[in-house]
Amino acid sequence: MTVPPKTDVIDAVLGLDSSSPVLALRERRAKLKHFTQTSHDAALLPAEPGNFSYAMRAALAARIAGLWKAAELQAHYKAQLEEKGSTPDLRSIADPGFRPEGDKRLAAMLAHVDLVTLKPKEARRANIEALYAVGLDDRDIVTLAGLIAFVNYQVLVVAGLKMLRDN
Amino acid sequence: MSEAVHEFTLEPLDWQPYVKPVKLDEATPEQLEALKVTPSNTKVSNYVLVLANEAEMLAERTPLFNDIMYSEGGLSRGGREIGALAASFVNRCIYCASVHANRYIQLEKRPEVVDEIYRRGLDADLPDFEQALFNFGVDLTAHPDNVGAYQFYHLREVGLDDLEILDLIHSIAIFGWANRLMHTLGEPHLKE
Repeated sequence: MTVPPKTDVIDAVLGLDSSSPVLALRERRAKLKHFTQTSHDAALLPAEPGNFSYAMRAALAARIAGLWKAAELQAHYKAQLEEKGSTPDLRSIADPGFRPEGDKRLAAMLAHVDLVTLKPKEARRANIEALYAVGLDDRDIVTLAGLIAFVNYQVLVVAGLKMLRDN
Repeated sequence: MSEAVHEFTLEPLDWQPYVKPVKLDEATPEQLEALKVTPSNTKVSNYVLVLANEAEMLAERTPLFNDIMYSEGGLSRGGREIGALAASFVNRCIYCASVHANRYIQLEKRPEVVDEIYRRGLDADLPDFEQALFNFGVDLTAHPDNVGAYQFYHLREVGLDDLEILDLIHSIAIFGWANRLMHTLGEPHLKE
């Protein structure tokens, strides 16, 4: 199982400390806050990463945050990518403007990440079939979907908390 | 099997996956733990069985979802369902919308609110309180990078305190998550 978290990613990216009213507010929903962080760990740093390395997961998360111009989370995941072992290829993946050429598997995965992040309403059965066609298995597809879904959740929470912090 | 449903409806729906669900009799101990399967509870939906392909994520997600939607105090249960509905309408998760519209009606006994959302979608013309929650949910879901500050002030104007706003943010965000699973990994069919 996932190791209990030491730092809370959302507090960290928003620069919340013990003097911050938003930190105190988040603590009133301590259970929810805890499971938000353990969900982060399960999506980004799972005990069994399977076919998605920690670095790959961080690169995809940085891409998703970048697609939404969520600067704080994007910076966080870029730093996580460096820490987990970055390569030029992974740095490209983290760039939301990057479209791979030649690598069909990667191209299908990134097209899916971009679609489900920005236009989930347009997702169809054909999009999942496209992932099977390039060799992803059931678990890979659910892993990818879970990572996309979690980071989008986190983007919305951070955007909402910023409004509470600044207004 | 009945045809897939691609328009919003309040009819009871079944969800049919595009991805293979885990078979209960082949599930690993970790998957069974995440599924919360016990000898007295062996009924598990296809949706959760699909998510069990990633047991570690599922195990954290289930209690998170429950706390966001059902915790004590703060925003009313019905208010949280408005957040869920707003997200599901923007993301066109037909199944999520149906479940949570029906739950709202059950909780608040105000079918006219849901009827208006089903009639006019994102342009729904609602009573002030519901309008403020719905519009904020639409905005946060559709463009989290550019949420109108007036939508936020509208929440204050209708009397929401910080904890209630926090609860609303989470109910919208968790459906940003749920919609991206349910609407992309399968599709709804009318219940036979």
